Amino acid sequence: MSSSPSTRTYRGHSAIFLTRICISLALGLCVPIPGPAQTARDLTQLDLADLMNVEVTSVSKREQKVSTAGAAIYVISQEDIGRSGATSIPDLLRMVPGIHVAQINAHTWAISIRGFTDKYGDKVLVMIDGRSVYTPLTSGVNWDQQDVPLEDIERIEVIRGPGGTMWGANAVNGVINIITKSARATQGGLISAAAGSQEAGRGLVQYGGQIGGKGAYRVLGDYANLGNALAPRGETVADGWHKAHAGFRSDWELSPKDALTVQGDLFQSREGQTIDTLLIKDLPREAILDDWISVGAGNVLGRWDHTLSNGSGTSLQVYYDGYDRRERGLDEIRQTVDVDFEHHLTLGSRNNIVWGGGYRATSDDLTPGYAIRYVPDKRTDSLFSTFVQDEIKLAPRLWLTLGTKLEHNSYTGFEYEPSGQLVWNLTDRQTLWASGSRAIRQPARADFNIRADVAIVPLDNGGLGVVELTGNPNRKAERLYDFEVGYRAQATQRLSLDIATFSSHYYGLQTNEPGNPFLTTNPGPTYLVIPIIFADDAHAHNYGAEVFANWSVTHRWKISPGYSFLQMHVAGDPSSQDPAAGAIANESPKHQFQIRSFVNLTRNLDWETSVFQVGRLTDGGNGSTPGYTRLDSRLGWYVGEFLEFSIVGQNLLSPAHAEYHDAFSILHTLAERSVFCKVTWRF
Amino acid sequence: MSMWLNLAFLLGIGLTAHAQGPAFDEYQVKAAFLYNFAKFVEWPPGTFANANDAFGICIVGQNPFGSTLEVMVQGKKIGDRAFAVRRLRDTQQASKCQILFIGAAESKWTRAALEALKGANILTVGETDDFTAAGGIIGFRLEGTRVRIQIALETAERTRLRISSKLLGVAEIVNRQP
Repeated sequence: MSSSPSTRTYRGHSAIFLTRICISLALGLCVPIPGPAQTARDLTQLDLADLMNVEVTSVSKREQKVSTAGAAIYVISQEDIGRSGATSIPDLLRMVPGIHVAQINAHTWAISIRGFTDKYGDKVLVMIDGRSVYTPLTSGVNWDQQDVPLEDIERIEVIRGPGGTMWGANAVNGVINIITKSARATQGGLISAAAGSQEAGRGLVQYGGQIGGKGAYRVLGDYANLGNALAPRGETVADGWHKAHAGFRSDWELSPKDALTVQGDLFQSREGQTIDTLLIKDLPREAILDDWISVGAGNVLGRWDHTLSNGSGTSLQVYYDGYDRRERGLDEIRQTVDVDFEHHLTLGSRNNIVWGGGYRATSDDLTPGYAIRYVPDKRTDSLFSTFVQDEIKLAPRLWLTLGTKLEHNSYTGFEYEPSGQLVWNLTDRQTLWASGSRAIRQPARADFNIRADVAIVPLDNGGLGVVELTGNPNRKAERLYDFEVGYRAQATQRLSLDIATFSSHYYGLQTNEPGNPFLTTNPGPTYLVIPIIFADDAHAHNYGAEVFANWSVTHRWKISPGYSFLQMHVAGDPSSQDPAAGAIANESPKHQFQIRSFVNLTRNLDWETSVFQVGRLTDGGNGSTPGYTRLDSRLGWYVGEFLEFSIVGQNLLSPAHAEYHDAFSILHTLAERSVFCKVTWRF
Repeated sequence: MSMWLNLAFLLGIGLTAHAQGPAFDEYQVKAAFLYNFAKFVEWPPGTFANANDAFGICIVGQNPFGSTLEVMVQGKKIGDRAFAVRRLRDTQQASKCQILFIGAAESKWTRAALEALKGANILTVGETDDFTAAGGIIGFRLEGTRVRIQIALETAERTRLRISSKLLGVAEIVNRQP
């Protein structure tokens, strides 16, 4: 940059200006700016030391490690799912020791953890990607409405025992957490189709792609049509099921520290069932008729995960869930909105803390059914909750976790659920753990507001009486005090073992107490209403154990045996006049045993067999159900990397067996021997 | 005016120096590490039957990389050999593998799989917390937002693989627990 003396002043300024540019540029070039790799392939140009400094996004949140958990956890992995031959989530849950799965008909299951089996399974919390799917109407789960293609499930985490501190009310006996795969893990196309006996047909079409450089998505549509099953007396019963589902999921890396997930579903289904019900309009009478269940549902969920530093992070989740369900004449329209916040951080070198808060509002609109109505017929409930949990490292191999949840619900006000767990790593291969907790089941809408007509009683004077189950707005929450001890060991390189034992004390369980009869004042013929009012005058002491193992017998063959034992003692309090207060203890089997075997026959052929043995259900008021043994088997053939054929036989040991009895006016059907073939094409 | 320009330039340089590159997925970085392992580990003579046999990177079970690994090594060579990425369903077919990766989804069966490979001249890589304790040679760990590697030197010394000191220098050396 030379300048002539005559223009020195002007050029002087620009010379200095330009000099500064050059110096800045030179400095800039000298500063070791790591040239940002523009594409993934450029990562291979970095040397090892630089590769160690690249910041990554990891959508996997701080996951609970099974080996150091202070609770009885079982994880159903993708291999378990793909090789099980199961076609629905309830069928998958059979493999978890401690869970009792009893199929009532083609689309209805009674599922419970550690006892209290009934159609409503009101003591288990079920979630899909953090969205609660139990219905506040009954505290139960409508399994027919939960449609997650098994190919999209990342894993299912099942905690047997109370999860109240982390997950809130209704996680009394356990938590089932269904986690779907990130959109990044389901890229490309997938088409699967299955057809089999019992007129079963299913199809799934899915495609996943990228959005710009920062996001991934998948969209899917699936349809299933399952045929009618056999009734106990041999005739065919209407329990056919058509369902259609469309869904999407998208995952975004907004920045190295921010991940966003948005997902949603639309669902529709129509199912048949045969019911034995009262018809109350006009003169009450009893009838057996074919009922149609129809469901329309939709949900959308968003979650933002933000990483602060060194494993500390926050998470904010919002979801909306709405459905219209018509069953037994009752039409339920429900909408739920939920906001949840969570922050996990480390304090010093010894404390891992998680805390958070949430708000949920649910509102319903109920139209009376054949024999069920709710008073009032519209209601909006709010739930406020907050929790904190601290995992404290007492010593290099000893952790103590203490926490509590505090909630306020519209039925019983404030509730608290504290828990403590001690985990001791005896050696690198063995862990001993113990826990104590208090958990509650918040009353459901039905507990407070239901009026269900269940039986007709002819009166001495020639008139009619109708027995009506009546909800009680004074019900309190059911309470559980639970103590558990467990042991996990990697006995040899090939054999791992997991033992959990528990002792659970329940208070405030439901009983049915006689009320004062009154004459109905409805328009139409008068009849006597004989109320049976819900009360909380029963208690229980349940105890038991679950044992399971994973054993690699050879490098081609591995087996997973499991056993669970449950002893229930349920009794009415002295104040109760309910003669059947303890009957629910007869609804769960005392012993269950299972063994699953996986064999890699050849490079492209594998064969899995599962045997489940479920003990007898003695009479809980609806008849007894004999114990049964169920054998399922699957043969899988892999052609290249993209095509998979499988043939699955279910219930191979007997032509048909009952897993449960009639329940809440629904007549049960039998689980039949069946075969189906499935083809899956990935491209 | 010039002062503001100076500020702008310095700010500009400053921003460039601190600019975050595009976000990288954890598995893109892990795939880049696998490529580097091929460069910084020596396999014993006789590993390959022919001069044009491909260098095998195998993934057992669930594949968390998607197509990232194939894209990353496409067209690249190690010595004169091209890469081949293979997906295996179990360790039975591991004879064509030089590097074998077992993802976190397989954790129930990892130990048994590693025992089947004990002593083989295969570099076993995993990402579960107890991978090296279970018999694996290299384990990935996430420290905050960075990927770290742990090398179980004793396990490696029981094979005829030779790990370069450059790789040992950036790793945390752990010894396999008996």
